[in-house]
Amino acid sequence: MVATVQGEGAVVHGFQLNDLQRKDSLADRNALLRPGDLVHVRVYRGDSHSSTYTEYDVPYAPRMRVLEVLQYISSHQEPNLAYRWICGSKMCGTCGIRMNGREVLACWEAVLPSMTLEPLRNLPVIRDLVVDRDPYEDRVASYEPWVERAKPYADFPEHLDSAQMARMSLASEALTCISCMACFSACPVIGLGDLTKFSGPAPLVQAAQTVLDPRTSDQKRDRTLGKLEVFSCVSCYKCEEVCPAHIRIVSHVIEPLKRLVAEKYPRRARHSLSFERIVRRRGWINPSELVLRTRGFRALSNPGRVLRLIAHHKISLRKLLFGWWSRNAACRLIDLGRNKL
Amino acid sequence: MVELRYDVIVVGGGAAGCLAALRFTEKRLRVLLVSKSLAGKGGASIFAGNLVLSGRMLGNTAEQAHSTAEFLVKYHNQYLIDQRWAERCGRWVESNYYAELERAGLYLRRDRNGSVVTSPGPIRSVAANVQGNSGVNLMDVRRKQLIRAGVARLEEVMVIDLLKRRDGSVGGVYAVSILSGERYVLQARAVVLATGYSDRLHRRSTGTREMTCDGLVMAWRAGAALQNLEMQWWHTNDLATPAVWQRVQIYPNPILGAPGSARMVTAAHEDFFDQQRDDPMAFGPYCLQLKALHKLVKKGAARYDGGYFSGFDNMPVSDVETYTAYAKAYHQLGMPGPHALLECGVTAHYRQGGVVVTDLTRMRTDVPGLYVAGGLGGHSNGLIALASFDGFNVADGVADDFDRLGSGDVDPASTRAVEMRLRDLASSGRRATGQYPSQIKKDLQAAMWDHCGVEKNERGLQTMLAILDDLATNALPNMRVPGGDGKCAYEFLGAIELDNMVEAARLIVLSSLQRQESRGPFFRDDYPYTDNVKWLAANIIRRTSAGVSFERRPYKCERFSPGFERKLNSEVPW
Repeated sequence: MVATVQGEGAVVHGFQLNDLQRKDSLADRNALLRPGDLVHVRVYRGDSHSSTYTEYDVPYAPRMRVLEVLQYISSHQEPNLAYRWICGSKMCGTCGIRMNGREVLACWEAVLPSMTLEPLRNLPVIRDLVVDRDPYEDRVASYEPWVERAKPYADFPEHLDSAQMARMSLASEALTCISCMACFSACPVIGLGDLTKFSGPAPLVQAAQTVLDPRTSDQKRDRTLGKLEVFSCVSCYKCEEVCPAHIRIVSHVIEPLKRLVAEKYPRRARHSLSFERIVRRRGWINPSELVLRTRGFRALSNPGRVLRLIAHHKISLRKLLFGWWSRNAACRLIDLGRNKL
Repeated sequence: MVELRYDVIVVGGGAAGCLAALRFTEKRLRVLLVSKSLAGKGGASIFAGNLVLSGRMLGNTAEQAHSTAEFLVKYHNQYLIDQRWAERCGRWVESNYYAELERAGLYLRRDRNGSVVTSPGPIRSVAANVQGNSGVNLMDVRRKQLIRAGVARLEEVMVIDLLKRRDGSVGGVYAVSILSGERYVLQARAVVLATGYSDRLHRRSTGTREMTCDGLVMAWRAGAALQNLEMQWWHTNDLATPAVWQRVQIYPNPILGAPGSARMVTAAHEDFFDQQRDDPMAFGPYCLQLKALHKLVKKGAARYDGGYFSGFDNMPVSDVETYTAYAKAYHQLGMPGPHALLECGVTAHYRQGGVVVTDLTRMRTDVPGLYVAGGLGGHSNGLIALASFDGFNVADGVADDFDRLGSGDVDPASTRAVEMRLRDLASSGRRATGQYPSQIKKDLQAAMWDHCGVEKNERGLQTMLAILDDLATNALPNMRVPGGDGKCAYEFLGAIELDNMVEAARLIVLSSLQRQESRGPFFRDDYPYTDNVKWLAANIIRRTSAGVSFERRPYKCERFSPGFERKLNSEVPW
């Protein structure tokens, strides 16, 4: 990253992040390099226990992808560099890595003049850019990701009516998932580790493929729904941002799943349902009531914390008893949003 | 070292291997599936773009059903096929295949009213969810079926060689985990090789990373005969760049739900192939496209690796984007949409030939205990449906033969030989000063592209033989093999892959020299005629004590016949 200042006006030469921010289209990104330019790469080397970064320079080729950079390094400079790929064309979903902190498919992503390449997060690193897929695969398998019908059918093709097709469109979107785990790595709630039992975006997409499929029997659907942990999702949309298949994971997968779980297993949705009920009744959210309704009297089991919260004005007895605002407007807004979905 | 014993071992996690493993499980045989990549995520099967309908389904007529059989024999195999097998296969695809997949949960794309969307052309196709990505969904269904059925899998595990019993029958495999370095001796009554057809032997090829001729060469070393290795198919519509997108195609087959298909044009934007116009009955118009391109190259108007273009500028963008994934490349290159034209190049695609199957109902080879399924077989060009048919059959075959198969231990000498080979490789890494396996692979792929590419002739093929000799005597013994603790040993195992690739290339070049004609995608400049008198025949290669021997075995034309004796291949319409 060379920056030279020339006289007045501080003309900056060479690539800077700002260039990318100003012109962040793929066409512009592809135009950042010319054949013969060097791509400067820092690569994570090591495993979950110890690691270092090694730097390489790789000559740019037309429309170069990150995978070509890795192939160049392994055949010219570092034969032991470990990276996984199978198809090279966004179908197998095995070459997911992080480039400059963002999850990408190595086979699909245009190179940048300066790149740091790291393995996906939230999974054990076997070596360099290769992660252990098993924790993810085991979780998906536990959701029984297959269609089970209520009864067999005779003819081919199976009869599906237009009402079923209306539901199939969401399942069809989920079916474009290639299990690359980009979203699993990007998810900040998964990043909290064992603090939550959140299923994670990719496993939920895999579950949604059959849960939202109208061919799946109610019994099988409810069995899978009972295993999902959806309500820890904070709707930050990180997963949608990185999904190479452009699946609208929050709005078209997690939110429909939340609704189904809430209908079938309301106790699991206590936090969301209480939240909605409070807003409907009060016109705004009251955190004290939310905590009481979600956690019950367990919320009072740590008196020290309760006193601290009162001292910091997080809990207000006055607002708990007298805080009522325009409930009609709130109800209208909630219903509007629900109808939109 | 882990030693395991099963009833049967299936090598390969594509369409043939997965279905075989599922069928074995149904038959209550204890099966182990060994896959060099992830089962259902590797191999050529995930690349299946469409599912071609065979028979009178979903609006196909009797005439169309007939055309489908004709398609298999004529366009797909240039008559180098057992026509009875082709008919049996067609019937199975029609009556079992699609229905079984749908029952297993495959979603065939529907319209708003629930009708399955087909292409409107004379031979219909459907898609699993999205056209262009059907194989991804189909193989994902298979992967999940394997999980559901509890089929034992060893994934990202490379089979180094077949292991034999003292009586010469195949009784297991020796395998190494790519990720952990763990070594396995896996024994069984029978081994099914289902390692596919599309190997990365040329500078541009459609195979996946792991497809490096391993199955072909293991079968050869075990003593199996091979046939029609020279019959290499080429894809004309894969993108010229980026280099890793060798399987991203702007393919001129019929679009689902709308009339029309991509157009192939010269640099001057003149049409040179339009499937709807030039070849409406050939669903996979590979050969005719290639012949059209061949003429252009001869005129100096294009190259096999670029200089011509393909795109959907002849139809509304919405037709392309409704049911297909074809637009994904345009978007990722930052182009406005699929109406732009993209530069294309040829890639080595199917290999029609492969291991000789001596009994096509049981998928036996001439080595006891060794069975073959899918594209690795020399009995037909690949297609996901045909590979599945093989997977289905091989399970019946092994189950029928089961009581007659050997059950004794493999010969320890057989295991020791593999271990010696691995030890040699590991120690050569310390002393050698030559190139790494991946560099030599690139040299090999470049040489195969130059001398055993689309156009072949005696001189080029002899040059290639000399290059292969040189590689075998100089490059391979001095190869630098990286050591390490065996974890993620891609490059170490790459040395084994390279051995396989060099041997396969030699057999392919020898077979190409032997077939003295041109046929379909096989262009010999020095023998430009298709010769049905002499070469409507399998070109079989066998190992002998003196080297190799060839046999020419004619095919019977019981139902379809080419109707001419000799004709310039460029004028043959298939």
